Amino acid sequence: MADTPTTKKFAKGERSIPHHSQKASKYYPAEDNAAPKKVRKSIREARVRASLTPGTVVILLAGRFRGKRVVLLKHLDQGVLLVTGPFKVNGVPLRRVNARYVIATSTKVDVKDVGEDVLKKASESGYFTKDKEAKKPGEDAFFKQGDKPQKKETSKDRVEDQKAVDKAILANIKKEAHLIDYLSSTFSLRKTDRPHAMVF
Amino acid sequence: MQTSTTLNGRISDCNFWIWSRLQEYQVIGRHLPSEANPTPKLYRMRIFAPNDVVAKSRFWYFLGKLRKIKKANGEIVSMSQIHEKRPQKVKNFGIWIRYDSRSGTHNMYKEYREMSRTDAVDALYQDMAARHRSRFRQVQILKVVEVVKAADIRRPYMKQLLTKGLKFPLPHRINKKAGGKKIFAAHRPSTFF
Amino acid sequence: MGDVEISTSQWRYVEVGRVVLFSGGEYDGKLAAIVEIIDHKRVLVDGPSKTGIVPRHSAPLAHVSLTPIVLPKLPRAIGVGALKKAWEKAEVDSQFEKTTWAKKRAQFQKRRQLNDFERFKVMKLRKQARFEVRKTLAKVRSAA
Repeated sequence: MADTPTTKKFAKGERSIPHHSQKASKYYPAEDNAAPKKVRKSIREARVRASLTPGTVVILLAGRFRGKRVVLLKHLDQGVLLVTGPFKVNGVPLRRVNARYVIATSTKVDVKDVGEDVLKKASESGYFTKDKEAKKPGEDAFFKQGDKPQKKETSKDRVEDQKAVDKAILANIKKEAHLIDYLSSTFSLRKTDRPHAMVF
Repeated sequence: MQTSTTLNGRISDCNFWIWSRLQEYQVIGRHLPSEANPTPKLYRMRIFAPNDVVAKSRFWYFLGKLRKIKKANGEIVSMSQIHEKRPQKVKNFGIWIRYDSRSGTHNMYKEYREMSRTDAVDALYQDMAARHRSRFRQVQILKVVEVVKAADIRRPYMKQLLTKGLKFPLPHRINKKAGGKKIFAAHRPSTFF
Repeated sequence: MGDVEISTSQWRYVEVGRVVLFSGGEYDGKLAAIVEIIDHKRVLVDGPSKTGIVPRHSAPLAHVSLTPIVLPKLPRAIGVGALKKAWEKAEVDSQFEKTTWAKKRAQFQKRRQLNDFERFKVMKLRKQARFEVRKTLAKVRSAA
């Protein structure tokens, strides 16, 4: 062993001397050693507004479907909302949206009849992403630019799910007068509209 | 304490003045007692000031001018605020003042129609500042008196408010709330209400 | 030349007994009566209305609008109790509610409180009404 202490004999006795690697340093370090900062943050569960209950009609504010009035189905993880148009009414499919980019209205639609299994399937990770292909523009793609792009096929499962959800909600929507027209119309601000003073 | 109902309309527009700008104080003071005069004479003044500190200061200022007493050889015996007896009644006030203009000193008599003495004095200071560019220190209030009888009112601008069955229209009002101030308007505004 | 009839415009006057409506401020939308005129810009008001009390205070005329209602023969600087009696006798609250002014105000306030769906329904129903009116108008026109 390299760092075992050695014993030294003196006239009157003996003393054990530690190995030089075991001795305390004679000097302080010239510069302070930087210790990495401890992260005291933790990922907190996102909590959406109280007004965003399942069945609420919400106005989308961003993305491809901005301005559309859609029905909120379920809260997913991290403040993500699962919504649907319904697709048959305004063309918005089962879709995930950020709760921040949404205005909650006080109008409610009964969504109790929506199948639990469909919602569960849609809230699983990968439901919306698994059929996405890895895009890699290769030589082939370059030469095919002139051609007509191929129509994207929606997976049959999702078409089925959409139909099931729409059917359940539509029956309830039709019960109230003008509600179907309301959902098919889009929200926009006119010159005299003051959104901060409006009641939703 | 005055309640909010007694507020002078103009002043209630400003948030920072909860009560009217001036208060009325009664200050009683005297020369310090000495062996020669163990019971010196008391002097009482009614002073309009924004707070009690200014009121005491004004008391010594006036007393020093009238008698041979100053703060160093005098004391304030009592100090209290005088509140309006009927703050919800509209009254006519006559005010005598001494005013130092840029060229000399003048005595003046003015009349105001207000709900309290302090409101009247406040209006006086504003009026003097507007008409004569005077400052607070240039105006000394000599006397504030409620004019009870309408016949005793002297000024024509007050007499016109005391005519029997007084009524007048509000011609040419501009509605500032509707639409706000615009640079261009499609129609001339309606000012008849 | 025919006779020209000249009539003076119907001003509402600032006078003792005139009922005024506050717009903006603490007493927004509340009614009060002019109890005394302080000067050309200020009046002493008092509102014993059931819909909202305005305490007796001096109010700038810039903050109020004159209503067509006048409490008849109100003495100057009337007391609070007597004013309340006169107010109830003249039925100021119900009188004011009958005016188109008050109805418009109520309508505006109601419209402002509507939610998004209700606003949409109002828009749709107004469209329907307009369509009917235009349809009959077109019929009348073509007949003429």
